[in-house]
Parts: sequence; C-alpha cells; structure tokens
Amino acid sequence: MPGIEGSFKVVIVPCSGIGKTFGSVSREAAYIISEDLRPDDTELVALAKLVMGEESAIAKVAGNPAITIDGCKLACASKMVKESGGNISQEFDVLDVYRRYKEFRPEGIAELNENGVKLAKALANEATVTIDRLTADNKGGQNA
Amino acid sequence: MTEFLETMVDKFIFKVATDRLYSVEGIWLKLEGNRVRIGVSDFFQQHNGDVAFAEIKAVGKDVSAGSEVATIETMKVNVELPSPITGKVVEVNPVLITAPEAINQDPFGNGWLAVIEASDWDAEKTHLLDSQAYFKKMKEDAEREVNN
Repeated sequence: MPGIEGSFKVVIVPCSGIGKTFGSVSREAAYIISEDLRPDDTELVALAKLVMGEESAIAKVAGNPAITIDGCKLACASKMVKESGGNISQEFDVLDVYRRYKEFRPEGIAELNENGVKLAKALANEATVTIDRLTADNKGGQNA
Repeated sequence: MTEFLETMVDKFIFKVATDRLYSVEGIWLKLEGNRVRIGVSDFFQQHNGDVAFAEIKAVGKDVSAGSEVATIETMKVNVELPSPITGKVVEVNPVLITAPEAINQDPFGNGWLAVIEASDWDAEKTHLLDSQAYFKKMKEDAEREVNN
C-alpha cells in the first residue's frame, strides 16, 4: 500500500450533500474521526475533489483503504471512491446508523442539534474499529 | 399480477396499483376476504423519503377510522398515519422490524403495513378513492409540489 506521502492513512470520504441533515451528520462524523479520534491514522478527502478529478485526492483514495460515509441512498461518496479506483473497507449509510441509535434523531443543517452530534459520534466510534484494524494490519504487514 | 397506472412528474415516476382502494392520505387498502391489507402509496413513500422506522399498532389492537394506526419516521418527517377503516389489527408486517426500507423499495408489495379485520367495510369503503380517482389526486398533488 503506497500510502499518503509515504505513510499509511485510512481515507475518510463523507457525503457532500449540503443542506441535508443526514449529509451534515456524515461530515460531522468525518471531522470527529479525522480531527479528534484518529488524527494520526486517517485523512479526510473532500468528495468534491474527487468529483472534480483533482489528482492528489484521487491518488490518496487509490493508494489507501477508504471509509465512506453516505448521507442518502444515492451513495455518492461510495460511488466516487469506486470510480476513482479506491478500495472501500467500510461503507456507512447514516440512515442505517440512525436505525441502530434511534434515540439520536438528528435535526438541523448548518448546525446539527445535540442528537445529531451524538449520532455523528456514534458513527465515528463505529468507524474507529475498522480504522484500528486496518492500521494494525498495515503495521503487521510492515513488520512481517 | 398487479397492474399500475403510471405518470412522470418532473423527473419523478409515480405508480398507482389498480387493484385496491386509497385514502386521501395515500394509504392503500386491499380487500382479502373480510380482512383488509393496508400500506402506503408510491407517491407517499417518495414524497416523505427514506423510512428509518415504522411503528404499527400491535396485533389485537382496535383501530377506528381516523385514529392512528402507524407512525412512520423518515429522514425528513414523522408521519402519523390515520387508519382508513375501523377494525382490529390482526397482522403486522414482520419485515418492517428489521427492514423498514421495504416501504420504499416495494410499497405495494413487501412493504405492506398491516392487516385489519374490518368491522364496517361496506360503509367505510364509500369514503375511499378508487385507483383512477387517487391517481388523479396524486398527480395534482405532485405537480403542485414540483411547481412550488
């Protein structure tokens, strides 16, 4: 695995659905993962960069395992990662995650309500399981 | 084999099954002996968005026409569905517990909500719309929404 600038990173690609609550949850979760929970092991790639064909973004996706977080059934994040030659290790659909955390009904768009943030945190926590496994696998591979 | 009326409004295609009756709220009713299977229309599910949860009145519960028979929570809204008829809930779709998306995927088939043993079907069915009448109403509603 080539990695980003020589180092292994799990790429996080959230939905870009502006103006949609579940899209906002996906982005909030992506920020929580990449800035708070696993900043050293992940890198956030904006979906818009893949749509625009930005070479560095495509290279990151193509050279590292990806976790996608989609805000609706159109699954734009997952589709674009696949189109960019990426390998998706885990696909999240915010609606499916919400079904597991019914108590966290998200509301708001520009600013999520408290439950929306809690749902994003729950999703982010689930994602860390996969991130930790991928990171451990990569370290194991390097040491082998 | 169920046949459908179909129309395209803007980029959306809406279907209406012709073998059943409808309430103005977009609930379909299909008579099966003295029991009535109910569900939501294609327009209802597209209008309200992806279903997160569907809570249906439990088997054995009585419902009266106009009282709540189900609550559907989607990505956009919470919708309380009024029962179109009076009777007793005798069956609830078990699929919806684990796969409420069946309402979106197959609203006229696997996404049915419940079966009600109707107590006054002959009288109450007169308040319902046949498929042609519902199709006309639905088309008007869809066009009004697209134009707003």
